[in-house]
Amino acid sequence: MSEPLLRAANLVKEFAVRGNGLLGTAARFRAVDDVSLEVRTGETLALVGESGSGKSTTARLIARLIDTTSGTIEFAGREVHALTGRDLHAYRGEVQVVFQDPYSSLNPKHSVERIVTAPLVYQKRPVPGGARAFTKELMERVGLDPDHSARFPAQFSGGQAQRIGIARALAVSPRLIIADEAVSALDVSVQAQVVNLLRRLQDEEGFSYLFIAHDLAVVRQIATRVAVMNGGRIVETGDRDQVFGDPQDPYTRKLLAAVPRIRPEWDAARRRNERARTERQEAAT
Amino acid sequence: MSTPETTAPEPIAPDAGTAADRPLLRVRDLTVSFTTATGDVDVVKRLGFDLPRGGALGIVGESGSGKSMTSLAIMDLLPKGAKRTGSIELDGTELTGLRERQMQAVRGDRIAMVFQDPLSSLNPYYTVGTQIAEAYRAHRTGVTRRQARRIAIEAMERVHIQDAARRVDHYPHQFSGGMRQRVMIAMTLSMEPDLIIADEPTTALDVTVQAQILDLLAEIRRDTGAGLILITHDLAVVSEVADQIIVMRGGDLVEQGTAERIFCDPQADYTRMLLDAVPRIDDEIGQLRTITTEEDR
Repeated sequence: MSEPLLRAANLVKEFAVRGNGLLGTAARFRAVDDVSLEVRTGETLALVGESGSGKSTTARLIARLIDTTSGTIEFAGREVHALTGRDLHAYRGEVQVVFQDPYSSLNPKHSVERIVTAPLVYQKRPVPGGARAFTKELMERVGLDPDHSARFPAQFSGGQAQRIGIARALAVSPRLIIADEAVSALDVSVQAQVVNLLRRLQDEEGFSYLFIAHDLAVVRQIATRVAVMNGGRIVETGDRDQVFGDPQDPYTRKLLAAVPRIRPEWDAARRRNERARTERQEAAT
Repeated sequence: MSTPETTAPEPIAPDAGTAADRPLLRVRDLTVSFTTATGDVDVVKRLGFDLPRGGALGIVGESGSGKSMTSLAIMDLLPKGAKRTGSIELDGTELTGLRERQMQAVRGDRIAMVFQDPLSSLNPYYTVGTQIAEAYRAHRTGVTRRQARRIAIEAMERVHIQDAARRVDHYPHQFSGGMRQRVMIAMTLSMEPDLIIADEPTTALDVTVQAQILDLLAEIRRDTGAGLILITHDLAVVSEVADQIIVMRGGDLVEQGTAERIFCDPQADYTRMLLDAVPRIDDEIGQLRTITTEEDR
């Protein structure tokens, strides 16, 4: 078992909600309630749950996009909450986020080149090999045409735009990528391609994913371990096959039972027919 | 490219069969096109299918497939600028020739529609009870407010909204997403339609709520015998609901058949690719197979 890259302990996030509580104290809503998790080097921890479960808030706490109410987040042995100035800058280079909607998370007025080099420019780091060559190489790695580096986000399809978001995350060679419903808005054929891409990049680079998703079937394809959230709490954590094959928590069981599924016997019949088709084709040639 | 002018649909020869074996819905050569600066674009191309009485048809496709335009074309609710040609026959009545007034009587009364986002289909300023009751009264003459209110409560009970007699006076924002979708289904139910068109009815819902709504739609089909057209991008959802399936891509009908045939022995390359691309919750894990599309180089 590898060392945890990220360790969050007893995370709590409360938001003030409208209206007053008793005795004039502001009412608080606890979106994240005593959450502890670990992401190990090179693994994918999937954080799953339904809307309002607190999974995205947890991701935003870890990315330090918002501050915790209490609890600790350690990244590579350092307390994230205490980071300031240059160290916080460095942390933002180590942890990158890929969001659900590529169009709203990419500046529509910037070219691909400007978008993917922005994290380096922001960090006042040199762009290795120059912006043009660097961008082309990154685009190639995520399966985009490098000749399109001067184009704007609107000139790409949804799947391609999401690849730009992934390229931007890769630009700073992060150790952790937080994918917040990164493939949820994509058509199924495009989603499969982006899932395959995310897996290939991890194999090549060895970074970790914190993969936030509501779609359990997608999670099963990509996760090393799974943490299930409900009502701000983690109700179950375990290895992928254990959580899917032998869920312990009643909520996890309910969630898995609710996933619509194609009948396994239909899939089996399809594979038989597919084999027969291939054999016929081979016999014909 | 479609014809520049909306042509009158070909007169359909009187059906040889009796009313009982006539399909509930018969669509022939349905084409929907938009005029753009660079010419006409067909978003649905000569689509044809039959929906038998009490049948459940799933129309599956990715974005841009034309599946939603098909449902809007049947309802005559296409956006401005869209042209519709072809024939749509409901229980022997040609719908494409109907005047707006006549079509209004068909909508809601005989064909009801459930949309993806119940919040945008409900008026935030009126209680759900008022909305169900007024929709009902708009289609049924001589119904008093009191009678319509009772029908609203009954419809809400039938979709398993607890405490319907009290909830009937609540506003849309006081319901969760799943409960709002139940309200929408209650509204369609109160009309006792022959056909329900559900366009991505569970896409915005959590998976546990989705399962409840799908069960509810199945229960309504069983109890009322209404036909169902389910428009969805989700192959697993359609596999659980539909007995007939149409696969669409770029406005074309790619493949059509029983659910079992489509899932067990898909003929079109595109259908096979789609089925390979769906991540499974209970099957082998491996590289998701993909075909080369514009996404690849």
